[in-house]
Amino acid sequence: MRAVRVLLWLAGAALCARLLLAAKDEHHRPAGLTYLSTDKALLHYTVALLAITVGLVVWDRRPESLTGPLLTAASFAYVLSELDPLFHRSRLGLAVALVASPLVIALFAHVFLAYPTGRLGSRLERGFVASIYAFELAVALVYLLYYDPGSYVVGGIRVDCPQCGKAPLTNVGWHDLTGAGRVRDGLTIAVIAVAAVLVAAKLVRAAPGPRRVLLPFGLAALVLAAHGAVVFGLDLAGSSTDFWTSSTVFWSETVAVLAIPVALAAGVLWSRSSRSAVADLVVELEHSPPGSVRAALARTLGDPSLELGLWLPERRAFVDGDGRALELPAAGSGRAVTVLGPEDAPIAALVHDPALLEQRSLLDAAGAAARFALENERLQAELRLQLGEARSSRARIVRAGDEERRRLERDLHDGAQQRLLGLGLALQLARARLGTEADGAAELLAEAEAELRAALDELRELARGIHPAVLTEQGLSAALRSLAARSPVPVTIAEAPEGRLPGPVEAAAYFLVSEALANVAKYARASSVRVNVVRVDERVLVDVDDDGTGGADPSRGSGLRGLADRVHALDGELALESRPGHGTHLHAELPCA
Amino acid sequence: MCDDLAVPATVLVVDDHASFRRFARKLLEAAGLTVVGEADDGASALAAAEELRPDVVLLDVLLPDTTGFEVARELATWPVRPLVVLTSSRSAADLGGLAGRDGADGFIPKSELTVAALAALVGEAA
Repeated sequence: MRAVRVLLWLAGAALCARLLLAAKDEHHRPAGLTYLSTDKALLHYTVALLAITVGLVVWDRRPESLTGPLLTAASFAYVLSELDPLFHRSRLGLAVALVASPLVIALFAHVFLAYPTGRLGSRLERGFVASIYAFELAVALVYLLYYDPGSYVVGGIRVDCPQCGKAPLTNVGWHDLTGAGRVRDGLTIAVIAVAAVLVAAKLVRAAPGPRRVLLPFGLAALVLAAHGAVVFGLDLAGSSTDFWTSSTVFWSETVAVLAIPVALAAGVLWSRSSRSAVADLVVELEHSPPGSVRAALARTLGDPSLELGLWLPERRAFVDGDGRALELPAAGSGRAVTVLGPEDAPIAALVHDPALLEQRSLLDAAGAAARFALENERLQAELRLQLGEARSSRARIVRAGDEERRRLERDLHDGAQQRLLGLGLALQLARARLGTEADGAAELLAEAEAELRAALDELRELARGIHPAVLTEQGLSAALRSLAARSPVPVTIAEAPEGRLPGPVEAAAYFLVSEALANVAKYARASSVRVNVVRVDERVLVDVDDDGTGGADPSRGSGLRGLADRVHALDGELALESRPGHGTHLHAELPCA
Repeated sequence: MCDDLAVPATVLVVDDHASFRRFARKLLEAAGLTVVGEADDGASALAAAEELRPDVVLLDVLLPDTTGFEVARELATWPVRPLVVLTSSRSAADLGGLAGRDGADGFIPKSELTVAALAALVGEAA
């Protein structure tokens, strides 16, 4: 591809040199025309070659953008459009010039509107550019068919050129195209105006960072548009607009065309100067809290739409700051992606305005400056993710434990307990059959029955401790009443939610109150306990307050420790206050969505 | 030592555990009562009560399809209703208390189920 560009440059240089020579040679001109000085011709073709060169350099540096090829094509069309006055005897030269001349406008409009990606963004822009091409090709066709270089008006002077070639596609002789020319002038001015408005709108709409990229080239576009509008306006008014005879038009056009390479160079320099923003970024990152790297980068690059994806190696995916998966946009989606860090082990990805790709060095510098902050942020995202996973796995373990306890209780109830109850009835029956005169056997049986009853009581107690059936079957309120009924210390239940709550919340609240009441009975020497369980918004608040001696040590029993784990597994909080002489107050908050 | 009821009565035993039903039947029959039927869940209990018209229903609280409380509430709406005695392997406290449980005439934990206890309840109700 580079060879193609070198060949194109050589061709451009040869073309410009040939035209320069032709401009000096009187034999090439139609009679009656005074040409510009050799110095002006030299300047003009130097500027033209510069435009071609810049197009090829942009093409070389940014092969993925169509800006380079388009700019090269526009510059070539610009030079080729001048074959016409200088090679007026050549039918081929005339044909090329007649096609190239109107295309110059379409190609320049295209390159300016499509900058920096070389792709037109909106349907409006695509439709507009397509219609300019159609219009300019129609103009070219009209001139190819009917234009007669043998007799035309240049700078108010009628030129008769009997030796000039005929219109290249036909030999129909010449038609007076003055009327058609006026229509073309009017329409061209309109086209230039619309293009200028679209470019200006793009500049106004752009975020600060992309605007920094677009501005120099956009201004060059506006300068060129202004020049074009004035020239076509003068032509419409019948004034002389010939480049070679009017000094004003010459200088205006030279400056306008020169603006393009100057703008591109200025853009590069400007983005270098915005590297100082990277220094600010380094300072800002130093002082900003975690999670703010995206905002800082968006400010530095001037692109508020910037999205940040942090690479999680375990998942082999990018996630945003909240740990949600971030899909990188596909090519051609109107967004660009810059991946920071090595290809096989990236740190982060920036999804941004494609205009920022023109500021590659700024992007790279900002990415490098933010590298440690991003690394840090990524580790935090990873940690958050793992923490979330640990938390949900803990909740799952507690739930599975509860489920297992429920099953155990059910098994005890349906199995051993029922058999022992049957046995009790059988003993009772045997005792009744035996009557009284069985040599003390009846007493023995009565003893066995009492023993069995004790065993049943213990078994029931055990089953209840494993998991209270009343909680599963009737909910928290009934289960708390059952706890209160068995407590040796009088218990007042101030409030308890009547409806059912999620299983893990009911279990946690129940076991909290159960453990607290057991501790009150064992240590507190209290005369009364107050239990209060209320649902407030999306939380369940559990309070157990006694009027005992206080001074309970939360680290003492494993019971309370286990309860704290259970509460934390639900993302809840547990607090114990037990100053000596002030009773013990247990307070827990359980999330309950 | 004979725990016969004052009046001969017919009993329906409702429990999902077959071994309990078997021993309960023997115990009650030994005491002179007539066990006219057995049922192992709430729906068949209501059907059996409708068909057999027992004097007493010995009703387990925890049934596979419903609770004894529900069955008792349903029976209470009948114009001629049997005497309903709830029983359970759990204590009253473990059942969340019996307050507000309409329809039943009494409760005896299974571990304390004797003909005497049943007779006392029936006698009280009668």
